[in-house]
Amino acid sequence: MRNRIEDAIKQSKADYTEIRIEEKETTQISYQGKDLEKLSALNDKGGMVRVLIKNKGWGVATFNNLDDLDTKVDQAYQCAQVASNPEKIELADIEPVDEVVKVQMKYDFRDISLAAKKATVERYNNILRGTSNKIVDTDCTYSDNYSRIYFGNSQGTFIEDERPSVSVRIAAIGREGDNVQVAHEGHAGPFGFEFVMDQDELVRKVANRALELLGAHPVKGGRYPVVVDQNLAGVFIHEAFGHLSESDFVYENPKAQEMMVLGRRFGKDILNVYDDGSIRELRGTTLFDDEGTPGRHNELIREGILVGRLHSRETAAKMAEKATGNARAINYRFAPIVRMTNTAIQNGTTTFADMIKDIKLGIYACDAYGGQTELENFSFSSGYAYMIRDGKIAEMVKDVILAGNLFTTLANIDAIGNDFKWMFSSGGCGKGNQYPLPVGMGAPHIRIQNVVIGGE
Amino acid sequence: MDIIKQLEKQAEQYEVLRTKNEETSVVYEANKLKTSTVAETSGIAVRVISKGKLGFAASTDAAAVDKLVSNALESASFGEEVPLTFPRQQSANPVKTYDPVVANLPISRLVDVGKEILDLVLATEPDVRCSIYLSRSIQSDSICNQTGLDISFQRTPLSIVVEVDRIVGDDILIMYDGQATTMWEDDYLTFVRNLLDKLKLARKVVTSQGGNMPVLFSPYGTLALTIPLNEGVNGKNVYKGTSPMKGKVGEYLFDAKISLVDDGTLDGKFSSAPYDDEGVPRRRNVLVERGKLNGFLYDLKTAAQFNVESTGSASRSLFNVPQPATTNFIIQPGETGLKAMLKGIDEGIMVESLLGLGQGNVISGAFSNPLSLAFKIEKGEVVGRVKNLSISGNVYSLLKNVAAVSKEAQWVYSTFYAPYILIPEMNVVG
Repeated sequence: MRNRIEDAIKQSKADYTEIRIEEKETTQISYQGKDLEKLSALNDKGGMVRVLIKNKGWGVATFNNLDDLDTKVDQAYQCAQVASNPEKIELADIEPVDEVVKVQMKYDFRDISLAAKKATVERYNNILRGTSNKIVDTDCTYSDNYSRIYFGNSQGTFIEDERPSVSVRIAAIGREGDNVQVAHEGHAGPFGFEFVMDQDELVRKVANRALELLGAHPVKGGRYPVVVDQNLAGVFIHEAFGHLSESDFVYENPKAQEMMVLGRRFGKDILNVYDDGSIRELRGTTLFDDEGTPGRHNELIREGILVGRLHSRETAAKMAEKATGNARAINYRFAPIVRMTNTAIQNGTTTFADMIKDIKLGIYACDAYGGQTELENFSFSSGYAYMIRDGKIAEMVKDVILAGNLFTTLANIDAIGNDFKWMFSSGGCGKGNQYPLPVGMGAPHIRIQNVVIGGE
Repeated sequence: MDIIKQLEKQAEQYEVLRTKNEETSVVYEANKLKTSTVAETSGIAVRVISKGKLGFAASTDAAAVDKLVSNALESASFGEEVPLTFPRQQSANPVKTYDPVVANLPISRLVDVGKEILDLVLATEPDVRCSIYLSRSIQSDSICNQTGLDISFQRTPLSIVVEVDRIVGDDILIMYDGQATTMWEDDYLTFVRNLLDKLKLARKVVTSQGGNMPVLFSPYGTLALTIPLNEGVNGKNVYKGTSPMKGKVGEYLFDAKISLVDDGTLDGKFSSAPYDDEGVPRRRNVLVERGKLNGFLYDLKTAAQFNVESTGSASRSLFNVPQPATTNFIIQPGETGLKAMLKGIDEGIMVESLLGLGQGNVISGAFSNPLSLAFKIEKGEVVGRVKNLSISGNVYSLLKNVAAVSKEAQWVYSTFYAPYILIPEMNVVG
């Protein structure tokens, strides 16, 4: 494969050429309610040629037929001719690398029988269904995939990268009359079968939470002090702030650059935020991104001040900064774009007990159900939540949706917990048409004052 | 060996789906043409029923047919018994989804159309950042099964998406719209002009304290209502017991002004096709007629579970098993003119778009979202943009009492056709 890729790159007339070939094997087993919904064996093999003509533009060819890479290089070159960018497109320099990335799995899921995988997910599904007859539906999905990626470019980089991923996703749907409630948890990471085989405890939690949500009242809308658990805090920093630090958002947009100017205060001194693809064994670990740039630790907010942002080689060159290892693609069908890897709020010093003890009336919001941001405005649903009354966690409430303005909200974070955790949620991040990209999120508990909570 | 011959020997029933897609696309990013792409992708998906049990496998590796067959059979050996029978061939109504003009559209024409749109946008709004995505494809699908069913058809999707970001001081507005069809459409500027009209109207920002007031959902705003309804009419959610409409066929669930139709047979529309993704003819399904629930959408499997016929609603991508899904979803227009609807509103808001639709407990019908674009209506006139408001409600109770549904209706986001819908009173949170 290496020779074929390198030979094809040599044929290219473009200023820059890269070829990415991916071979991916996937197994998916899913139960919904009493039924085995899906038991699939999937093979995906394909590639992408991407070329740059600096005073024209990018040309891309994607394909499943790998027989004739030279033709694909030529197609991509023809595509690149279509555009015209008098202001040349440059790429930030990176050192050429020649690397093979290997991953150790304790129990390689490719060696685990389909019978054993099926039995595991069936057991989880039975736990959910056995909890109560109010659980009218379930969704238990096991998925593993193993990708081997070959990446070469015209600047001498060649990387062979192994990317395994295993996950279970557990959802319980409770129903009482017209009241339908969903609880879910996901558990995913770049590991072997060992990571998902003993999750009975997690499954029970999901079942019990669905039942508890059936009895919960909708939250009363208004402004509250909100304590956010690690999971939701991680999603919040990823969605509401992280996407704005992706430089493809600002690099062609002077107004956005003003908004995201380095040195601007985003929060109190206690707030520190970073993105780091180089930490091994996390969900978003990216030792080399899809342009061959090594992952690294990128500080984004230090002591409340914006100090950095995430780049591809193109956005870095345009802004005269360094490539950060954040150009990622979900698969060979897509060109890499600026994405997060593992994004986190750094650990703080406040204990959970201290965080809630002075709150007379507030909300403890846990887990994320989804979120959307539009520049500085965001909206998130929490998976479940509790009222805080007189410094104590009180009854569960449902339909808790946090909405607001990023700048005000970050400035209103007035306590950061000492209980940092990395999340291994399943699912992933979506941007453009590229979904789901595995990303890591981490945070301790945080407290935010004066949050708008939607509700009745 | 030929895949069919292998399957015939080893399974009582089989279905082979072959897809091929040839796509060219160009992307304008921040007012500049940046990237052009050619994609040539293909794949095969196989479902088998072997010893009564269902199996599934799919691959994009055309050379690995033996592995595909053995994967499908292995999947079936662990599969479950389902009462599924792959269908015999039925004749489909002719539906126009292939247009040689689109098929032969050169990449330079996409570039020109993009340029024309960009020029129009920048002539009216010189300070915006505009991104345009244009793509045209030739999709070839074929399905065959053990009954001798052997169909193939081609579609030529043509899609234009325009996103405009306008930042004026702290006032940020992001709007997007698109037009996607399967036939060439000469008029590719009207939707852009409409977008620009809204941008212009949004320049004036007015305040609203919120409170209980009439809420007018524009055709775009009705998405808040259609997303949960789409989930609710899905036969799979009915089977699973999660649809609030389960067991209510024949009941008047909504105001008599509400009629809902899913129609996959409209010429040139984006989600149209002669057959669904299991080879059953697509058709027009009237789901709600004057407030009364008529029925649900089924694929073969959910139809078998309810002992009814498939409604031709199976939808799938290469690597996924079929599921029921809506195609072109229509809220039928009503009898009131938009002007008359506005006239009766002393103070209210018109909802254009909401942030975070489709998240949370969608199927219950409950939603609670910030309004990313909404206008204030005062004494019958749209007076300007209102910011920082949110609305919440439940579709199933809101649509029980509808003040008016407009005569005027339009395609929004290419797959929904919707009028303006006036809800007499909702709580708008300021």
